[in-house]
Amino acid sequence: MLPARSAEREAAGRSESPGACAQAPGSPAIHAVALRKRYRDTVALEGLSMTVGRGEVFGFLGPNGSGKTTAVKLLLGLARPTSGEAMVLGAPAGDREARRQIGYLPELFRFQSWLTAREVLALHCNLLRLARPHWPTEVDTALHTVGLADRADAKVGTFSKGMQQRLGLGVALLGGPTLVILDEPTSALDPVGRHDVRQIIRELRDRGATVFLNTHLLGEAEHVCDRVTILSKGRAVATGTLAELKGLRPSVRLRVAGLPANWWQQMAGFGRWVADGDWLLVEDMAAGKVPELVAAIVSRGGQVEAVIPQRQSLEERFLELLEET
Amino acid sequence: MNPVLTIAWLTVREATRRRLVAAFAMISIVLVSLSGWGFYKLSHSVSITSGESNVAVSQAVILFMFMFSFVVALSASAIASLAISGEIESGVLQSIIARPVRRSDVLLGKWLGMVGLLAVYTAIVCGLLVGIVDWSSGYVPPDPAAASGFVLAEGVVLLTFVLLLSTRLSALAAGVVGVALFGIAWLAGVAGELGTAFGIRGMHTASVISQYVLPTDGLWHGAMFYLEPAGFLSQQLAGPRGEPANPFSAPSAPAWPYLTWVAIWLVLVLALGLISLQRREL
Repeated sequence: MLPARSAEREAAGRSESPGACAQAPGSPAIHAVALRKRYRDTVALEGLSMTVGRGEVFGFLGPNGSGKTTAVKLLLGLARPTSGEAMVLGAPAGDREARRQIGYLPELFRFQSWLTAREVLALHCNLLRLARPHWPTEVDTALHTVGLADRADAKVGTFSKGMQQRLGLGVALLGGPTLVILDEPTSALDPVGRHDVRQIIRELRDRGATVFLNTHLLGEAEHVCDRVTILSKGRAVATGTLAELKGLRPSVRLRVAGLPANWWQQMAGFGRWVADGDWLLVEDMAAGKVPELVAAIVSRGGQVEAVIPQRQSLEERFLELLEET
Repeated sequence: MNPVLTIAWLTVREATRRRLVAAFAMISIVLVSLSGWGFYKLSHSVSITSGESNVAVSQAVILFMFMFSFVVALSASAIASLAISGEIESGVLQSIIARPVRRSDVLLGKWLGMVGLLAVYTAIVCGLLVGIVDWSSGYVPPDPAAASGFVLAEGVVLLTFVLLLSTRLSALAAGVVGVALFGIAWLAGVAGELGTAFGIRGMHTASVISQYVLPTDGLWHGAMFYLEPAGFLSQQLAGPRGEPANPFSAPSAPAWPYLTWVAIWLVLVLALGLISLQRREL
């Protein structure tokens, strides 16, 4: 269970005053405009523009090599954009004060193998400039949240990859961050670990934090994200809520009796017809056309035995978008 | 705690936890014990006079310090080469730099931690050496503290240079380049001695340039000078050419302008390292 985040906790926990991010609380958590990154001959990111509102769980989806991690590095100031700009928590990307409010789980999660889990977390409390009396609580809470309480004093070098990823998540949660950037947070986790991560993300949302979830696991995004951007070859090819993305091209499955063969070929105006055994699939329908379609079939003497509205899965939509680009 | 001190302390802890300190300690014990035995044998040999024995011991101390300066340089190069590029390659540095710390804090902290380790190591080994030489032969070099300081400065120069390389090159490449340049600088110093002795101006000039570009050999000359007994030095200077063509002898201590240059060199190279890491894409 994550601790409640409050102004009092922040004020008590930080030994220095928060910076620019706190001065712009009404700004989006992330605002990127035409962000471009080129590595010699390779364009890793091509004109990425997006806005992530405060308190959102935002999924950043794309296949391997689509530019997701590059975008994260630009947002954190680990790399510089070739052109374009990004604001994070109201400050330019990479701003040191804004980084106080950001928790980050890197894709390549590696920590000092010669430290214990507790020492790694204490080190990050120190780097975050949290007041020393708060360290034990912060560390214990993080250890408990990510399920490492019983391995707190074991050396990180003895951890499995999954345990190291849990530790990375714990590090990202220290100090009650306003924005948590998770880069492939479940890549090394078993199903139980994945479930735990989803639970942690929901708890972060409940306490008002913004979560930027970088993943190629669509199921993960479907479970927790409010909105997603799909990235392909460095470009954002779609952005919206999951419902919007899945429902962009509604379709319907029909079973009709009492009409001659291929009767549907004269009704092309409703959408793209695909025969599938006893069933017919009408794809790319305009919204709200289903009653009109059923009425048209009945008026021709057909008996409509079944009408099943179809929604694309995120995976289908994802693959379709990737094929188009 | 200040981020620079946090990183410096982390560097020292890493050296301790990874048993680098234990390895240093073991090597030092072996080194000093064997040397002590050698010095005892040398100073108690019945076949040489006490005057000859003193000269032999003083020269052996210089040889020991030469070997030790090489160990310090190798150690400095090894730990500095891993400091930045090793951590970038492993991904450890990214999670630190994503925190509200300056990249300069990380570089300065690592530099400070490594210099601290090197200083303690140098002080302990030089102290043990002087103690064991005094115990076994009764000989004490003219200014062992100054000589140790020059050996340490040599190590710090190489450490700073390799740290700069480590912000751009792989750990392996940074370490190899650092050690190779250290060796070349020493050879340039020997060539300079020969150039001076035989009046070959070009060799002398090359040596001087080398001492400004990478001042390890120039500092080594300082260490040698403070280890040489006055009698031996005047004997060398009274030779037919006035200056010794001996790579293990220095006729004078490095001048203050040169030492000022070394300080400026250190600041410049450290600043270049900071700029390089600042611009490095992670």
